[in-house]
Amino acid sequence: MAPKQATRNKAITLKGSTALVTEFFKYAVNTILFQREVYPGDDFNMVKKYGQVVLVTQDLALENYLENVAARILQQVQKWILTGSVTQLVLAILAKDTRTTLERWVFDIKLVEPPADSKDATGKPEAEIQSEIRAILKQIVSMVTFLPVMQEEKVFNILAYTSESADVPAGEWVDTDPLAIEASKSQQVKMRSFSTDIHRIEAMVAYRYEE
Amino acid sequence: MNKPSASTSRTTSAMKRDSLEAELERDPHLSSAKRQQRTQAFTSNMAHASLERRLVAAQTTKMELETKLREKDMLIEKLERDRRFFSDREQEEREEKERERAEYEEQTTQKDNELRTLRNSLTALREEFADLQDAHSSLQRSTSQTIASQKSQISTLTRQTALLEEEVSQFKLLADERSQTIDKIQNQVHELSTASEHRVKAEEQETSDMAVVREELHRQAAYLRKLESTNAKLTSELAVLRARHTSIEVLREEKRGLEMKLQPLEGLREKGRQVGGAGGGGTAGTARNQQPGSAPSTSTLSVAVTQDLSALRLKHAQLMEDHGATVALLRSKEAELANAELRGAEAQESIEKLESDIALLNAKVSRSEQVAALAEGESQFMKALLASYSLEEATKEGASVDAARAEQVQQLERLLEDYKTANARLMQQIDETVHREPVSVTEERQQELERERAANREKQQALDEALAESQAQLEKIEQLEQELFDLGGEIAGGRHVPPGVRVLSFKDTPELRLRDDPEARLSAMERVKEENAALIRRIEELMGRIEELQQRGGGDNDTDTAITMRDATDTNDNSSNNNAGLIPRESWDAVCKERDVLRGEVAQKEKRLKRLQSVFADKAEEFKQSIAVLLGVKLGFYASGQVRVTSLYDQDATFVFKPAKAEGAGASGTGTTAMQLEALGEGGPQDLPDLMAYWVGSEQCIPGFLASVTLELYERWKTEQREGQGT
Repeated sequence: MAPKQATRNKAITLKGSTALVTEFFKYAVNTILFQREVYPGDDFNMVKKYGQVVLVTQDLALENYLENVAARILQQVQKWILTGSVTQLVLAILAKDTRTTLERWVFDIKLVEPPADSKDATGKPEAEIQSEIRAILKQIVSMVTFLPVMQEEKVFNILAYTSESADVPAGEWVDTDPLAIEASKSQQVKMRSFSTDIHRIEAMVAYRYEE
Repeated sequence: MNKPSASTSRTTSAMKRDSLEAELERDPHLSSAKRQQRTQAFTSNMAHASLERRLVAAQTTKMELETKLREKDMLIEKLERDRRFFSDREQEEREEKERERAEYEEQTTQKDNELRTLRNSLTALREEFADLQDAHSSLQRSTSQTIASQKSQISTLTRQTALLEEEVSQFKLLADERSQTIDKIQNQVHELSTASEHRVKAEEQETSDMAVVREELHRQAAYLRKLESTNAKLTSELAVLRARHTSIEVLREEKRGLEMKLQPLEGLREKGRQVGGAGGGGTAGTARNQQPGSAPSTSTLSVAVTQDLSALRLKHAQLMEDHGATVALLRSKEAELANAELRGAEAQESIEKLESDIALLNAKVSRSEQVAALAEGESQFMKALLASYSLEEATKEGASVDAARAEQVQQLERLLEDYKTANARLMQQIDETVHREPVSVTEERQQELERERAANREKQQALDEALAESQAQLEKIEQLEQELFDLGGEIAGGRHVPPGVRVLSFKDTPELRLRDDPEARLSAMERVKEENAALIRRIEELMGRIEELQQRGGGDNDTDTAITMRDATDTNDNSSNNNAGLIPRESWDAVCKERDVLRGEVAQKEKRLKRLQSVFADKAEEFKQSIAVLLGVKLGFYASGQVRVTSLYDQDATFVFKPAKAEGAGASGTGTTAMQLEALGEGGPQDLPDLMAYWVGSEQCIPGFLASVTLELYERWKTEQREGQGT
């Protein structure tokens, strides 16, 4: 199903866009994990990406997780993005002991391209896309200034909002509860967005805020 | 590693031989060596002394430098204080500046606001001004329109007045006609009155007389006026003539003067004539004198004189004639002047006449009006009279002759009435039309204007509505955007999952595994449940037993303990503890399990510790050996912290050091605990005291001491070795 649709919709561009989005997601997750101190800062190494320095984890367990498990997650996400069956990706940060959700970093994935007129599309220059991505990553970094400080130990989880008809590989993915934050204690901030010719990623963060 | 140990064994054997050798070699060889040593010691002592001196000098310089340093420090401190003071000042100043800047900014913002408000008011005023200008222009336009309309009205009115005047003249004519008819009627009436009644006749006579008299009076007045005018004319003429007369007089006077002048001239002429006669004789005499002999010559001379005289006379006559001509010209000119004056007077006269004519005509008009009014009154009166006459005649007999006439008169009067009414109607109509026209026009325009205004108002209203609607829509959009943001937050917070969407998570996520591992959770739950149930059971039992005891009266303690004992043995087979009976088996199991786990952990830890110890021992041994190889000394560590140092080259050379928190530690600046030489073995080089005194006593350098001792011992050991090999 997926490749068929891909070939119909100017395959290379769609695939390129999908790769771009998944890559962005990977770096965004790394940045959030570093900035929100889910893993100790020593575990991260500086890598140059998007024309700026991005911190990427060196923690063995996390690396393993991200390299193997998350790579599979990302692969699956990539497939879903290709078919357009994923609408949202959520990085939830939970308190390790109480299991309460502290933050939800939400990335809305929207298909912007109408499938018909893809032939005459001039295309958005990659430099522009990169600058948009850079802006989002910078914004994630700057979020630390007003997000509440989380003293407790934290763990994270990645949730994918997919359509009912999505192709879900059995045994790898399970239905789960959305790890909601109570309405009375939730606040949200909309972040920048970026768009390729095909996808539009809108970022938002909801966080627990108790006075 | 093995090598040193072998060498030590050799050295021990060499020692024994050495002593023997020492016994053998107590002679010159040794003494020379000793001497050499002494000299060496002496030189070293000298060097030592010089070095000490230098040291002292260095110390004094150091002291000086230290004092200097202290001074510098103080100076620096002072400068530091000053600097702090200045920095405080600077800080204050900066704060002041900051405040001032803030104030200034505030003021500027205030001024900006004022300026903005003033600008706003200015624009408002400008708009107002523009509005007023508009109003003014519209008013001007309207006024000019009204002026134009009024002008046109005036022109129409003047035309009307002209018309009316014409009509008036017509009416006058009519009135004249009527007056004529009235005259006729009067005549008739007069005839009638003469025919019928004397009184009436007399009256009629009187009135006619009056008319005649009036006419006569008028004529006389006119004549008088004429006379007056001629009088005036004549007086003016008289004045002119008088002036002329004076001029004539002047001329006469002049003439007389001239004549007076002429009289002597006449005398002179007379004399001239005499002289001419005499002169003729004279000339003749002269001629005779010139030509005394010729008579004809005298006659020709007299002829010439007479000719001259006649020519002169002719000339005189001509001059006289010329004079007469000029006088005649003067006369004619005078006549002309008089003529012109006459003409001017005539013109004046005619003007006056015309003016008087105008006055006359005016008077006539007024008179005619009066006459008309009078005639009207008379006609009224006549009508009444006629009516009475007709009545009388009706009463009398034979009045049929005048019936037709009377009828005619009546008919004429009716006709006149009709005309009058028609005229009045027409006048009224004219008035109406004059008044109606502009009103209707303005009304139409007014209506149009009203319509336009209404349309305009409607449009304005529609515009307002549209604007309000757009405002409302904008507000709604804003509201919806807010709502959208809130709903986005709902989704982002995970509280709302859109329909037709699954929330998935990767199964291998450690979090999930930890949380969702069903087996572990279930087993833990089961365990806790069992424990709980057992505890409840136990409580129930105990409660039952307490009740039993209470029922029994509570004296039987032995049975109770027996039961407890029994319980204990029941529940806990492998435990002899009495209290264990109080704990349910499940809890006990859990505790045991925990204990086992902990024990295992302890065993593991111990094992680890042992391993670490062995490793440490190995490492320490290795360390010692490497030190022995590298430094040539063996180290022995005691529990008290003392360290025993034995040289590899002489087993007897042993030093014991004690760690001491030396007083010099602070001065040296290293901060480490120094070692203190505490005890000495028997062995060692012979000049050990000297070395000790130098290195330990004065230099306080134990490594140096040890190194020099090692060096000495090595030297000795080497020679012994050589000797041993030699023997």
